[in-house]
Amino acid sequence: MKSEKPDARTLSKLAKPLSMIQGYGLAVVSVAVALGLALLVDRYHVRDVEAPLFLFAIALTAWYAGAGPAALAFALSSASFNYYFTEPYYTFYVTSSDLPYYIVFLFFAALVAWFSAVRRRVEQDLRQSRDHLEEEVTQRRALNEELALRSGELQVINKELEAFAYSVSHDLRAPIRHIAGFTELLQKNSASVLDERSQRHTTMILESAKKMGNLIDDLLAFSRIGRAEAHKTMVSLQQLVQEAQSEVAQETDGRNINWKIGRLPACYGDRSMLRLVLINLIANAVKFTRTRPQAEIEIASTNHNPDQIVVSIKDNGVGFDMKYVNKLFGVFQRLHAPEAFEGTGIGLATVQRIIHRHGGRVWAEGLVDGGATFYFSLSKAQGI
Amino acid sequence: MSNLGRILLVEDDPKDVELTMTALEDYKLANEVVVARDGEEALDYLYRRGNFATRSTDNPAVLLLDLKLPKVDGLEVLQQIKSDAKLKLIPVVVLTSSHEEKDMITSYKLGVNAYVVKPVDFHEFVNAVKELGIFWALVNEPPPGSVKKS
Repeated sequence: MKSEKPDARTLSKLAKPLSMIQGYGLAVVSVAVALGLALLVDRYHVRDVEAPLFLFAIALTAWYAGAGPAALAFALSSASFNYYFTEPYYTFYVTSSDLPYYIVFLFFAALVAWFSAVRRRVEQDLRQSRDHLEEEVTQRRALNEELALRSGELQVINKELEAFAYSVSHDLRAPIRHIAGFTELLQKNSASVLDERSQRHTTMILESAKKMGNLIDDLLAFSRIGRAEAHKTMVSLQQLVQEAQSEVAQETDGRNINWKIGRLPACYGDRSMLRLVLINLIANAVKFTRTRPQAEIEIASTNHNPDQIVVSIKDNGVGFDMKYVNKLFGVFQRLHAPEAFEGTGIGLATVQRIIHRHGGRVWAEGLVDGGATFYFSLSKAQGI
Repeated sequence: MSNLGRILLVEDDPKDVELTMTALEDYKLANEVVVARDGEEALDYLYRRGNFATRSTDNPAVLLLDLKLPKVDGLEVLQQIKSDAKLKLIPVVVLTSSHEEKDMITSYKLGVNAYVVKPVDFHEFVNAVKELGIFWALVNEPPPGSVKKS
């Protein structure tokens, strides 16, 4: 290997395993060559080169052919070494004076074989992880392609949705504005010509147009929450509750409401979205306690879970039947007659969408004529 | 009204034109209103081309601009006005049905002077138009070269 960092190709060239016959052949041949060389050198009275030669043969075998052939090379080498190079020569008998030399040879031979075996194992592992990685890369590439495709499709769909929302926003509001505008003008300029019945009809047209306008605005706001980017910061829920209260001040004027607001923590989220959540829930509590001479609205946070905040908004209003609890958060779902309580049926759907976008949960408990409690959970603020 | 500036109303919908004119008439702001029915006509007026080739050279005191227009849309008109040294001083108020944040941001980036979403409620609409008319045609001191009767 010339390059410092083995790339996959050199690694695979190195790693090409020898067959069993080739491996053991290599053991025999390398030891035979080492023996030949040692005997040749010995003839010219150059001493003490035989041991390194045999070690080299063992190392070579272990390196290229693995543990089995290395063991064979080791056995052959030690036998040859013993037979040719330790006294008495040409016997397998070892004299006591040569025993340490022979043992040192065996020890070195074993060490070399062991190092080579370790290196082989490491290489094996490396090769396996490389194969594994390659497989993973292929899989990942396929997944990425799939993801890119899907994200492209989603982008197209999103674009279409955006165009749709834009069109609704612009084109649907215009005719409603015209209906309201011209009806208003009719009422103003032709009041004397219209009889009482017709005047009532124009009022109804106006009310309907207004309601349609509100519906479209709410629906647009709802769709915008799905599309808008969330800008998450530290948000004080306490402050948001105060803001939401002043937002519904028009509704609470002249009402007898007993507010109980507990200590609320800070959390991490999109301020304007969470504000909308609290406005919706508090406005609902105010709305549905309208029939009560003394309204009770309690806002608190429960704090049992170390990484979650649960906020509850409880009222003593008209409540709802738990039978319909799963309809509560649907778009355009209403549980009350419009004459009793106005609304477009988008508020709670908006609440749910925002809380879901924050990774939280929203649920409710209620009793017909026994009040309702709405809960939402948010992950707790970290590192204030 | 003695000090009334000319208003250029760029609006394609005749019903919206009528409602806006009614609102302006109610407050006697309608005598100096020029209506352009699309972006091209608005630019023709501003550059004194086509039907408007013979008009006097002064600029309107304010331009009330709808965004969704045939041929050349409102944002393009706005961009053209604000990138032309002779026209960029004309105050432009976007008066649109669109609640879209994108439109609003783009308009402000292009240098719009005000952005008003037409309210559905007629009273609010009349109020909005009235206040716009009074402010831009009456209260605001327009840049030199605009129509301002004295």
